[in-house]
Amino acid sequence: MREITIDGRRFELDEHAVTRALERVLPEPVYEHYVVIEGRRFPPKQVIGLVTGLDRAAFTTHHARRILSRLGFAAARRSQGGGPVEPREPATSPRGPRGGRHADALRPYIGQWVATQGDEVLVAAESPHAVVAWLARHGKTADSAFRVPESEAAAGGLAPR
Amino acid sequence: MRFPFREFPIASGGDLTPRPMLDVWLEGIDVMPFAGLLDTGALRTRFSADLADLAGVDLAGAATERFAVGGVEVQGAAGRVSLRIAGEGLEHRWDAAVWFCDPWPFAFQLLGLDGFLRHFRITLSAYEEWVDCQPEG
Repeated sequence: MREITIDGRRFELDEHAVTRALERVLPEPVYEHYVVIEGRRFPPKQVIGLVTGLDRAAFTTHHARRILSRLGFAAARRSQGGGPVEPREPATSPRGPRGGRHADALRPYIGQWVATQGDEVLVAAESPHAVVAWLARHGKTADSAFRVPESEAAAGGLAPR
Repeated sequence: MRFPFREFPIASGGDLTPRPMLDVWLEGIDVMPFAGLLDTGALRTRFSADLADLAGVDLAGAATERFAVGGVEVQGAAGRVSLRIAGEGLEHRWDAAVWFCDPWPFAFQLLGLDGFLRHFRITLSAYEEWVDCQPEG
């Protein structure tokens, strides 16, 4: 447990408590900075605002990021050139036309509905309704949506008529 | 319009074999298209019934059928909907018969003969892992 001070108020936080608090929370859109919690990317201010109950105006993104880094979460900055990955012509990688990047990006979300933009997962949720609601709420458009298959059978290998 | 095969992870580690898929926009849902698996062995185009609900497709009085898939009994209801695919700066829209199924055990929608394949000339290279769709007519 680590004691932190934000806006003159003290809180005790640790990695497990933060992870638990975020378990059923959908990440908001990541514009620049983010932290990785259980394979999902969250804006630092969303996380600190949620676990402390403080208004987000009470702290900066950098302060939130620093706190979460000290708690053990990987923090990073979104690549500015990180748009959708263009498909290349022939497949030369044994891991598929995107060199396995798409599969790697989806790995934390197996069994969940996701909306993607290129190789980036914009949101993951339990139902397509929740995904559509999240995109509409945040003014985002995805270029694909599906449930990440749990198995070969779920990927559609058993075709009905 | 050419689309690369799609890669997916396997829960136990590693990846599924990349497969031919397209993203199909369903009229009534403007924020995202749905990944559909190209299925030349399927007579019908089948979507999850959740999507009919989201798009506001009225299935009251629709023709229905029951079938079994993967040991699960599924009910399908036929709807006429407007679909669209887009890529390489082009797009194509068509009216399609889609069977909305509940429950839907698959991760993707299935793009079969009626509703999809009859509307396109498809070229597929599994070796190079791409599928090309040209609208018919």
